[in-house]
Amino acid sequence: MNNHLIFYSLLFIFFIFIFIFYLIKRGKINIRYSVIWFLLFGLLFIFLIIPGFLSIITKLLGFSIASNMIFSILIAVLVIINIYFTSVISLQDKKIRSLVQEVSLLKKESNDYEK
Amino acid sequence: MKVLLIIPAFNEANNILNVYNSITSFNEKSDVKFDVIVINDGSTDNTEQILNENAIPHVSLINNLGIGGAVQTGYKYAKIHNYDYAVQFDGDGQHDVNYVLKILEPAFRNEADMIIGSRFIDKKSSSFKSSFARRVGIKMISFFIKIVTGTKVYDTTSGFRAVNRELIDLFANEYPSEYPEPVSTTKVLINKFKVYEVAVSMNERKAGVSSIRAWKNFYYMFNVIISILITGMEGRRR
Repeated sequence: MNNHLIFYSLLFIFFIFIFIFYLIKRGKINIRYSVIWFLLFGLLFIFLIIPGFLSIITKLLGFSIASNMIFSILIAVLVIINIYFTSVISLQDKKIRSLVQEVSLLKKESNDYEK
Repeated sequence: MKVLLIIPAFNEANNILNVYNSITSFNEKSDVKFDVIVINDGSTDNTEQILNENAIPHVSLINNLGIGGAVQTGYKYAKIHNYDYAVQFDGDGQHDVNYVLKILEPAFRNEADMIIGSRFIDKKSSSFKSSFARRVGIKMISFFIKIVTGTKVYDTTSGFRAVNRELIDLFANEYPSEYPEPVSTTKVLINKFKVYEVAVSMNERKAGVSSIRAWKNFYYMFNVIISILITGMEGRRR
């Protein structure tokens, strides 16, 4: 991978880190869910800064060029993360549903009691 | 013996009072009395006002949950208040209260755990006309339920259903939020409960919109069938 591409990648990772830190600080993202992003981009960072590391893995995995390998791995990881988040959303959906039901039932009980 | 009619209502201001009055006038003549609980699923019209002014027993959901979540609230209510039987009854005037006892009978005799009021089991008694696409859709769902559970159910999307105490408990704990009728029927059958179908005739909707708007939509069919297959794969829970 040429030096230009590595430079832009590192710049991108740098901004991602700042963005996630910003979100954590503002309380807009749980630390629990930020770990996954730190892990992903941390690994990418290590891949990029060790000289020659990328080309070794590229050859080892049988890709012809490094950028192909990075794209493939990133897409695979992003799909997995997305499926994971789908399950998180579904679980929250379930919790919200039962919350709405319980609160509404309680509200009826308390209204009846007042009458 | 306590019987609860669960009436989910979303924007049914034009129908709900008529439905409630038909039930109260039925109760005046009948030996078996039905309690009513309307579940107002976050209506945006004046359904809530009508419910309050006429002192109709109701639970108002603080957020719109959709038909599955609304009906399940009714089952939770039935469980809390120890009802022996619960009947799902539409708030739009499609269902006739005079059929409720007929639907409940197999449950009273302990012959079935769930009884579906069916439009298709006896063609003569039903004046219900639905579009070709809709009938084909219901047949296809029926076919897949037969494959998954081994039992033929004719009116898979009927919202006119009675269940006994055991299924009140089950539905209070777990009820599908999407495509609740065919999916919950599949679940009930897989768990080896007995399901009967009883012929009823239904009226055309008097006002409002059916919760199944996407009947012509292939996407709906695809979703229901996938849901049935997955429910089948989940297997038995008891």
